[in-house]
Amino acid sequence: MLSRNVLTSSRRRPHGAVQTFLRSLATEVSSEPSSSALAPPIRTKRAPRAHITAAVILNRGPVVTRTPSLFERAYYAYQARIRRALHNPFPLDFYFKQGSLLETQFSLEEKKRERRAFGPKFAEEDQFVSKEKAAADKAAADQLALQEGESEDLMPRVHEADASRDYKSLDRKGKRNIYLLLQTTEGGKDIWRFPQGGVEKGELLHQAAQRDLHAECGENMDTWIVSRNPIGVYKEAPLDTASPEPKAEKITFFFKGHIIAGQAKPNPKAISDFAWLTKQEIETRVEKLYWEGIKDILSDY
Amino acid sequence: MSAVASSTTRSVVRFGRTPRITRHLRKNKRTQLPIPQVPILTRQFAPCRFEDHYHTTVADDAMYMTYIHESGPRPQPRPIRLTYDPSDPYTKNRYNPPVGGQQLGKKPPPPSRPDNVVRLEKISLHSMQKDALSSKSNLLGLIMALRAVTGESYKAGGRHTAEGIELVRGKKSVGGWIRPGVPVGAKVDLKGQAMYDFLDTLVEFVLPRLRDFQGVGLPPQSSSVNSTSAVSGVVSFGLPPQAMALFPQIEVNLDAYPKQYGMHIHFVTNATGVGAQNRARALLSGFQIPFLRK
Repeated sequence: MLSRNVLTSSRRRPHGAVQTFLRSLATEVSSEPSSSALAPPIRTKRAPRAHITAAVILNRGPVVTRTPSLFERAYYAYQARIRRALHNPFPLDFYFKQGSLLETQFSLEEKKRERRAFGPKFAEEDQFVSKEKAAADKAAADQLALQEGESEDLMPRVHEADASRDYKSLDRKGKRNIYLLLQTTEGGKDIWRFPQGGVEKGELLHQAAQRDLHAECGENMDTWIVSRNPIGVYKEAPLDTASPEPKAEKITFFFKGHIIAGQAKPNPKAISDFAWLTKQEIETRVEKLYWEGIKDILSDY
Repeated sequence: MSAVASSTTRSVVRFGRTPRITRHLRKNKRTQLPIPQVPILTRQFAPCRFEDHYHTTVADDAMYMTYIHESGPRPQPRPIRLTYDPSDPYTKNRYNPPVGGQQLGKKPPPPSRPDNVVRLEKISLHSMQKDALSSKSNLLGLIMALRAVTGESYKAGGRHTAEGIELVRGKKSVGGWIRPGVPVGAKVDLKGQAMYDFLDTLVEFVLPRLRDFQGVGLPPQSSSVNSTSAVSGVVSFGLPPQAMALFPQIEVNLDAYPKQYGMHIHFVTNATGVGAQNRARALLSGFQIPFLRK
């Protein structure tokens, strides 16, 4: 909401610069076969008005950080090592009281980190500290760590939904952008597509997109349409190119949305199934021409 | 780094033996330490959560929100006035006035392209301490606080482009207030990983716990869109002294500091042209900095 307030004022710009241009579609992908371009049918009548649809690409962003690649890990380890070698000395007496338990714990952990960076021989045991003292220090530090709950395991980075292949869960594929896809029956066959719907008279496209999303996927979720600009457009190929009668074009404008809370609950009469899918998984489900129209909109990460 | 440590598939921290130094290295006269032949710089040393968030989510959204559609190249800018033509008998012996006028607030933003999507370039922090005028040792607490908050120190990691914590000295002589050359404050410029880590700390720990903080104030709707601040793509606000205690790096030993210090924060983005500050605000709201119209 806040960012929307911010942007309303950014739209105030001097007139003239942009408005004088002829309008055309931003990222137009035509799915018509190339043969029709060679021999255009002779148009006797004017084509009827295009049938416009607004679709929402509903996105759940990554919730877990990406796992670095082997190269990245090696790079980070090397840079961390240089940094450790060059950094200014840590002001131990500024942060810790002399001889306190916290200081002991910190020095032990620091020794461990140095060994990891510079090899096992780097920080040898201090000869002036007796073995009993060292053992007592270690026991005290372990006790402190236990009290602070440091031994507790972190949440796993892979969710159960990934293991059980639950495509409807919003917790799946935490490291990736996932998108909502619906399965419907159109023209006698099952197809997968984004939530979409028609535009009513006098309605703005982004408002239609929001309304259609809720009409298809229920009121049980909190969503936010990012921009009033469509982020892509897809023109459906006419069913029979042979007939000379001009057909109405079917144009779908895509809008990006984020799901903030809730879950999709599509109407079972119209929608047979839904799934939250990554870009690569979407490619395996949708039609080839539809994929050509949407592939550049979706995120690889 | 926990992911790095936990994954046991292949070790990336075995670097082998240190190479023997065969060539003579010059030594630093003061420290007697060898000076390496090449400047050694440290770069990013851990994955950065907020930077990833920018690239996976915020960049796309910012591009869609700030996109202005243009078909074809832009027309040439209108000539400001007719060019002076000395062969024209009308202008021949007339005065040729210089072209004047402030062009700053009139420049349109660059065309929307993937390479100029609004992004954060640097965060600049600075603070002035008036009591440093009486004794410059009063600046030590501030310098230590800035070092703790940002993780930067003087020429940290051998870097020379970013100077770490810098002293700010007076430039002018104003009676009873400031004299030239006197240290009065400290500043630090953050870029890259340090910048995103500072932003992370700010929005996760400091702003949510700051009392009576509703959001960064927006200028009134009627304010000029052509002012220098509105077209420069910088968002600035200040943190009160109470906010310093909320940084976790300072919270652990707050009583080690003589007092609490406020600071000014400037978020510098690559946005230019008309509406640049609004685009910068849209970017920052993607990083969860709240804005409020009063």
